[in-house]
Amino acid sequence: MRIGDIAAFAEVREAGLAKLLPSRPRIAVGMGTCGSGNGAEAVYSAFSSEIDARGLAVQLAPVGCFGFCAEEPLVNVWVPGHPLLMLHGVQPNHVDGILNAIHNGTPPPAEIVLCKIEEWDHITGHVKYGTGYPDVPNWNEIPFFNGQVKTVLRNCGLINPDDIEEYIAVGGYQALYKVLIDQNPAGVIEQVKASKLRGRGGAGYLTGNKWEFLAKAPGPDKYLICNADEGDPGAYMNRNEIESDPHALLEGMAIAGYVTGASRGIIYVRAEYPLAVLRLERAIEQARASGLLGTNILGRGFDFDIETVEGAGAFVCGEETALIASLEDQSGRPRVRPPFPAQKGLLGKPTNINNVETWYNIAPIVTKGPAWFTETGSAKSAGTKVFSLVGKVKSTGLVEMPLGTPISTFIYAIGGGSSNGRDIKAVQTGGPSGGCIPADMFDTPVDYETLAQLGSIMGSGGMVVMDDDNCMVDVARYFIEFTQAESCGKCVPCRVGLDKALRILNGFTVGTATIADIAALDELCRMVRDTSLCGLGQSAPNPVLTSLRHFRNEFEDHIVAKRCRAGVCEDLAISPCENSCPLHMNIPRFLQLYKEGRLEDAFLSVILDNPLPASTGRVCQHPCDDHCRRAGLDESVNMRDVHRVIADEVLLSDKFDSLAARVAARKLEPTGREVAIIGAGPTGLTCAYYLALFGHSVTVFDSRPAAGGMLRYALPEYRLPKKVLDKEIELIERLGVKFQFNVSVGEETTLNDIAHQFDAVFMAIGTWKEAWVYLPGTELTGVMPALPFLEAVSREDPVPVGKNVVVIGGGNAAIDSARTARRLGAEVTVVYRRESKDMPAIPEEIEAAKHEGAKFVYLAAPHRIVGDGNGQVRALEAVRTKPGEFDTSGRRRPMPTDEVIRIDCDTVILAVGEKVDPDFCKASGLVLKEDGTIEVDRYSLESSRERFYAGGDLISGASNVSNAMGFGKKAARNIDKRLMGQKRFASLIPDFVYEMEPPSAPSECRRHVPGELPAAKRVGSYAEVSLGLTALAALEETSRCLRCDIRSTER
Amino acid sequence: MDKVRIGTCWLDGCSGCHMSLLDIDEGIVAVLRKADIVFGPLVDAQEWPEGVDVALVEGAVSSQDDLKLAQTLRSRSKIVVALGDCAVTGNVPSMRNGIPRRVLLERIYVEGATTCPGVPTDGVPALLKQAEPLHSAIKVDVHVPGCPPKPNAILMVLTDLLEGREPDLGSKLRFG
Amino acid sequence: MTEKVKVRIDGEVIAATAGQTILEVARTNNKYIPALCYMEGLSTVGACRLCMVEVSGVSRLLPACTTPIQEGLAVATTSPQLESYRKMALELLFAERNHVCAVCVSSGHCELQTLAQEHGVTSVRYPYSYPRLSVDTTHPRFVLDHNRCILCSRCVRTCAEVEGAHVWDVAGRGVGSRLVSELQRPWGESTSCTSCGKCVQACPTGAMAEKGWAVEEMTKRRAAVSRLTSMREGE
Repeated sequence: MRIGDIAAFAEVREAGLAKLLPSRPRIAVGMGTCGSGNGAEAVYSAFSSEIDARGLAVQLAPVGCFGFCAEEPLVNVWVPGHPLLMLHGVQPNHVDGILNAIHNGTPPPAEIVLCKIEEWDHITGHVKYGTGYPDVPNWNEIPFFNGQVKTVLRNCGLINPDDIEEYIAVGGYQALYKVLIDQNPAGVIEQVKASKLRGRGGAGYLTGNKWEFLAKAPGPDKYLICNADEGDPGAYMNRNEIESDPHALLEGMAIAGYVTGASRGIIYVRAEYPLAVLRLERAIEQARASGLLGTNILGRGFDFDIETVEGAGAFVCGEETALIASLEDQSGRPRVRPPFPAQKGLLGKPTNINNVETWYNIAPIVTKGPAWFTETGSAKSAGTKVFSLVGKVKSTGLVEMPLGTPISTFIYAIGGGSSNGRDIKAVQTGGPSGGCIPADMFDTPVDYETLAQLGSIMGSGGMVVMDDDNCMVDVARYFIEFTQAESCGKCVPCRVGLDKALRILNGFTVGTATIADIAALDELCRMVRDTSLCGLGQSAPNPVLTSLRHFRNEFEDHIVAKRCRAGVCEDLAISPCENSCPLHMNIPRFLQLYKEGRLEDAFLSVILDNPLPASTGRVCQHPCDDHCRRAGLDESVNMRDVHRVIADEVLLSDKFDSLAARVAARKLEPTGREVAIIGAGPTGLTCAYYLALFGHSVTVFDSRPAAGGMLRYALPEYRLPKKVLDKEIELIERLGVKFQFNVSVGEETTLNDIAHQFDAVFMAIGTWKEAWVYLPGTELTGVMPALPFLEAVSREDPVPVGKNVVVIGGGNAAIDSARTARRLGAEVTVVYRRESKDMPAIPEEIEAAKHEGAKFVYLAAPHRIVGDGNGQVRALEAVRTKPGEFDTSGRRRPMPTDEVIRIDCDTVILAVGEKVDPDFCKASGLVLKEDGTIEVDRYSLESSRERFYAGGDLISGASNVSNAMGFGKKAARNIDKRLMGQKRFASLIPDFVYEMEPPSAPSECRRHVPGELPAAKRVGSYAEVSLGLTALAALEETSRCLRCDIRSTER
Repeated sequence: MDKVRIGTCWLDGCSGCHMSLLDIDEGIVAVLRKADIVFGPLVDAQEWPEGVDVALVEGAVSSQDDLKLAQTLRSRSKIVVALGDCAVTGNVPSMRNGIPRRVLLERIYVEGATTCPGVPTDGVPALLKQAEPLHSAIKVDVHVPGCPPKPNAILMVLTDLLEGREPDLGSKLRFG
Repeated sequence: MTEKVKVRIDGEVIAATAGQTILEVARTNNKYIPALCYMEGLSTVGACRLCMVEVSGVSRLLPACTTPIQEGLAVATTSPQLESYRKMALELLFAERNHVCAVCVSSGHCELQTLAQEHGVTSVRYPYSYPRLSVDTTHPRFVLDHNRCILCSRCVRTCAEVEGAHVWDVAGRGVGSRLVSELQRPWGESTSCTSCGKCVQACPTGAMAEKGWAVEEMTKRRAAVSRLTSMREGE
């Protein structure tokens, strides 16, 4: 029916409302491409046949997508008088239950109910669904939706995109009607200008200004083009907008047609979006039939028509002049501007091009006015923008947020933070033309100017979140590979420059690049950016330039250390496990040797990679587990426990002497060089071990009476029995390493004294200084720092621990203290200021502490320690906190509340963090960083003073055993290279010959986990908790390895 | 004052650049007053010596032997000059680069052979995958393009280097 | 249409005609701006980017060949940055295909070779691509050597705009772009080619040449093509 007057308009509107809010229940299935891809078609047909079969009075309709991709398929259920319920993850087998619930007048099963919508502002119209379901959260109480402002997506997922009546029911085409009645084209252009609406395709040019150019251009033939050639990898907002609400696009274009004097509109849409094309064409037909397109629109004498043209998907055709060339049946290559399209566009006629999303903002601006529009967003970037939030966050999907929202809100609040527990490293905005923004800049507001300052762009709104597993060099390489393949080839910088940039980047990922390549790449990318003909070439270098700016270290790592920390660049690593291991143990090798029954070779392989394999086999944080590819099949291989078994089988048996001799046989010729090591902890021991193997004479100084550092004095016996550590140290001593105990550098001797006697010095002191909290009451008797407490227990000194102990902190030292205090017979409460998931301690250790009876109080920040008249601790008072904004670590900042809790106790152990005590290097001339750690070269570990090296906690701050040992190993290689003038590390490792064929079928065994002493037996005993794997279990575990170290030789 | 030690070598090239070097005519007298030529096709030395001041390298890096010699001379020379287009750009030797080595050798030594067809392997160095300019194998300090470079350009470069100046080639030289 | 405007090129005030491009004004006043895809008498495409210049008050570099002059425009035709970018662009062209000058018929008369010399390009810092490219010898009088083609599209425009035959076009994308005659039919089999040879004369390098010449022997009469169009304009 053609709508010719207001009465006809109202009639259609009533008909639409009767569909949207019928007198019977309505079920609407989200059927965008995304929903269909997740099974929405099957859900729809299941509803359809079941409704038919049961003869139910239920209306079924398809709708577009509401944007929560991670929870697809989404289904809306509305029962008259009640709120609209949004269901998530709906599968055909839920259909019965949902229909039963509707029949019985009860809400559907709680596990599939996501949220409710009581009323909805369609902006051009308003719909009230009803109230009720008090237990179901409102839609914007769901973290993913909280803060979203749905202007562009106002109808998406709520109305049937194939039904013009439903669009009209929610206020559709009223803005067009208003514009036609008002007959004030210039006024509309002024409104759009006043709204400060900027092009949503990425360049951010003011839409109103563009319209004005077109309106002023002479001649009757003018064109409007909608750019729906959405080609950024990971961006799909335009597809969803068109699939969910095609009429809003037509209305925006028709309004522009009237006010600019254009009579033809063309929607250039990618052929890869078949559903969008189909829905658009249906919408155009309906609009024509209703007299909303075509001649004499709404009876107001205005002629305007729209056609769709399918683009073949060349990325460059998103560039407006290339798009026009493509529409003219030319090859899609950009042309130089001027002349601009507004002067000379399609077929030489004045033309205006806007992105899909820009058009969606028009009707709301016309209806509500520019003042309303500028209320949202930031000063220079008004309104909202739809972003596709994808990558390593929990909740992915389309997110419409006010411009100017900080990145952290997107990632942590809306996205729910890291999807796999790893640290989020960066976000890539703007697709191949954009750039990477590092996590420490996540407080950046997302608007055109700010992103540009960081070297990125808004682009069409892609937001790809990356974590530690993403290599920024590889990311840059990926985008350049994309843009060089999509370059049209017309101008030299883009055609050849990007190709050469890709070749240089490939050199980084395979380890053949040189340090000069960084500057060459930077220079080349600037040239391509500054001299390319069109936007593609001008913006294509952004991913590289921003990565070079914010992640230069990663580029240097690939060249200098030949390492890809993320483990993405496979040519730089043996296997993912090896790459993640701070000691870079050749893990597949020892697994295979053990599997072949060659215990002694396996031991040799292990010990030459890691001098403390039994200790680390117990206490390592096992990053290898997180990177094992077997985890994709079932669970990761338990590599740590296998090398513990290998180490124990030798170290604690009569094989020790012969194997120690085999290790000693690897020693290189004595060099006559002397090296001093300060600190006999894991870092110092590791360095001493390798330097001794290299043939140097090594002396280790330590202020304590025995070697081992934290391993001996901080790690409790129940985690690491000292007899195990003793054997490892004995092996190191047999290599000729000399120890001088009870020598405190800075007191008995100074660094300068040592410097005179040795060819090189390696400093590796631990973080023994407790970071003191400034808390009233720390002077009371009964308050002690964690490390002295643990050390006293390990030395079997008397420890004044009372009956009720409070431990303050959430790190490993806190948990060790709690479990140790339990063993001393105390009741223990751990007080932590953040949420339980934010605790930095190893999760297994926290669990074990709970099993052993330690209590945990979260979200409580210590406020003061209360004493009695004798100066003895009586209680701890803590302020309840609540989670606040996300900080740059991705954790919610604890915000104090008014509530104070009191925990009675007689002992308080402070474990809030440990620091380096840099007093020993007074007057040594070493440059220290602000936190007291020593500044060293990242790669050589040499400090500001020549031949003085440093490693471990001393340069990194408190870390863990394996990281510390990694530094020791690296320092030894560099000290040797310095002393001998050549790289000699490879000569320490014999040629192990072992099977290099991958297993034809991997073992189907599940991961073997060592048994544990029962919790009841642990308290009151220092017996080791973990019982280790049996030899058989270890053997089975080795056969689970997929042998990622074996590469195809056919290359 | 000690004389400057010059070494010259001839990788994958046609010896034209050495001919051009000889074509500096009486200029050679002035050069030899200040320098000794310690290695090259004209000198009876078996191995690139230590302590060379200026290395003039003709030819592209095309075989394993070329690569080895290039690396050796780099480690033993202060200034390395890529002499002529083959060393500077790869030039004619690089025209084989689009053709796989096996196909190339078969075409020449089997299909193209009139007697004793067969790809030689004994006593000849293995071809690298591609013939490349010298700077893709080692660091090059001065590029002297030309096929061959003009004698006066070579003389100018040598004179500058012998007098401790960085040669300013400006717009004096062209490829080809 | 003959409105006079004043512009400043490298500091010198020059009177020009409105509608002219920066490059036209510069060339008619003996101000040198390098260019490869530009040829007098043909439409401009702004593809080689060698003619980028600095215009005061504009933060971006602009191509001189397509930027129209305006009253008061101040242009710098050279600067350390422009010089460095031009050198890079030339090196990129040499690295893209197999320009073996030593065995080229156009050596000594080649615009690419000459520009490289003028800009002091004595080596190419980017890795050479060494693509395997064909040579089309099917035409009885002319030869097309893709190894030496820089995709400037002067032949394309000469054929389409001057001869009116439109034999040539560029197919493909990115570094895979290739000059093609008539929907990829060999040149010699082209039915629209009039064998006028103007494309050959327009070609800045040795990519298009007359048959029968040896190294360094192929000289071109580019001015002849430009003269044709200017004579027509006079008609």
